[in-house]
Amino acid sequence: MHLTRRQERILRGEYGWSMAKALEIIVRVGESLGAEKLIEIKHAHVSGISYLNIGEPGLKLLEELAERGGRASVYTTVNPSCIDLSGSSIIIDHSVARQQLLIHKALERMGFNPTYTCIPYLHRPPAPGEHLAWGESNAVVMANSFYGARTNREGGPLALAAALTGYTYYAGLHIMENRVARYRIVIEDILSERDYSSLGLWIGENIDDIPLISFKQRPDYGMLKLLFASAAASGSHALIIVDNVTPKGSYRLDIVERISIDGRELEKYHGDVEYNGSILGYVGCPHLHPHEFRNLVRLVMKYSRVRRGCGLLVSIPYKYRDYLTGEVSMLRLKGVDVVFGTCPIVSRLTRRFDLVLTNSGKAKFYLSKLHGLRVGLADTDVIVRSVMEM
Amino acid sequence: MPRFKARIIVDGECDAEILFIDSKISFFGEVDPYKGIIRGKNVGLRGRALVFRGGRGSTVGSYIIYALKYYGNKPACIVVERAEPIIITGAVLGDIPLFEIYQFNDLREAILRGARRIIHRVGEEYVEAI
Repeated sequence: MHLTRRQERILRGEYGWSMAKALEIIVRVGESLGAEKLIEIKHAHVSGISYLNIGEPGLKLLEELAERGGRASVYTTVNPSCIDLSGSSIIIDHSVARQQLLIHKALERMGFNPTYTCIPYLHRPPAPGEHLAWGESNAVVMANSFYGARTNREGGPLALAAALTGYTYYAGLHIMENRVARYRIVIEDILSERDYSSLGLWIGENIDDIPLISFKQRPDYGMLKLLFASAAASGSHALIIVDNVTPKGSYRLDIVERISIDGRELEKYHGDVEYNGSILGYVGCPHLHPHEFRNLVRLVMKYSRVRRGCGLLVSIPYKYRDYLTGEVSMLRLKGVDVVFGTCPIVSRLTRRFDLVLTNSGKAKFYLSKLHGLRVGLADTDVIVRSVMEM
Repeated sequence: MPRFKARIIVDGECDAEILFIDSKISFFGEVDPYKGIIRGKNVGLRGRALVFRGGRGSTVGSYIIYALKYYGNKPACIVVERAEPIIITGAVLGDIPLFEIYQFNDLREAILRGARRIIHRVGEEYVEAI
């Protein structure tokens, strides 16, 4: 691999142990993927920071990197962690708060922004063509497909290494020749959140390559978030091109096959839809954009409070703690569990519910696979109606 | 002494007894870094030449490899058919020599026929199995 003189000096340890280790990771991985050089990135997003996932090993590594001089070389954001940062949730478990806060301390010591969200594009929307190194699969698809930026689907440690050095390897989706769609999926009539989530799960399971999707009506931002997150959960997608959405010039087309999807095929992704027993409604996967959050507040205000035995969990970025306080208080007065900087996928729940109802295919995928819960897909208005009383 | 041409990803000396696993490993879930064992198989990794197909599963696996070093349980070297980002990252962080073997099935044959040790010297572009 061709390295600049500065990069060689970093590898030799002239910028400290942490920088050297971080760059070595990128160089070695890059070489194995056939990269000929490194490129500078504008923004790193570090995933894999939940103590429940990375445990003591992850904590020790982050502490060592911070202790031995590791500092962010570029703008860096971090993913949700496993505790509610408002400290008031009764649904999200807090038993490892002490260890999780040590992780936060190490991350912040390295100069990473304490965003604790899976929607880093809220803090810094990428520009078309910009090179990034992002972990967190839903964010990766959003960056490539909605914003036209360029990032591979990095694992947590590689995004961390990119944050410390400001470089990533030049391979995969950073190269235009690899951003080519070969399948065109035509969607006739799909409108609801549940449909978009189901479609995403279907694409993840059935399409290996980069698809181009043509919708009759241009889907809105919230629907795209659900679609992309779901496809990235059940599959390994990093780029899903959408007609009239993905910026022109950020991809190429070489269509060899056209695919139509029957609405009935999507029904099998709906999951459990018998709304009996104790239900946990969950909205906020990916974390809600302010616009989506305000729509939810308007909807919840029509009801008096959360039904006894049920729950309504809403996960939002940590940042909202500073400026959406009024709306959050209004929800909490109605018994809604609003959590900051976390989500039920990377955390543990304090109690079991008979059924989880969510609008997110990604949440359905992980809550049923990782946590063994019964999960059904429904639109937000149905979820709220199922767990709240007039 | 049979030699196997290797791509040296993290170079370092290795002269250690082979622990051969004829599959891919997800370090996250399948390896216990505190005890230094492969779960279910109950075999120790510490000081062994760990020979297997490659990595799979969660990228948290890199942290687990680092933890093997942190808790004093790291293998002497890692020998794989295909090195992917999880294993490479873990080997760099854990200072564990990592070799990718071009003809992995030949090495597998040699091990099944009775080879016991992997030997590699810094700077060489192959490993030996004796």
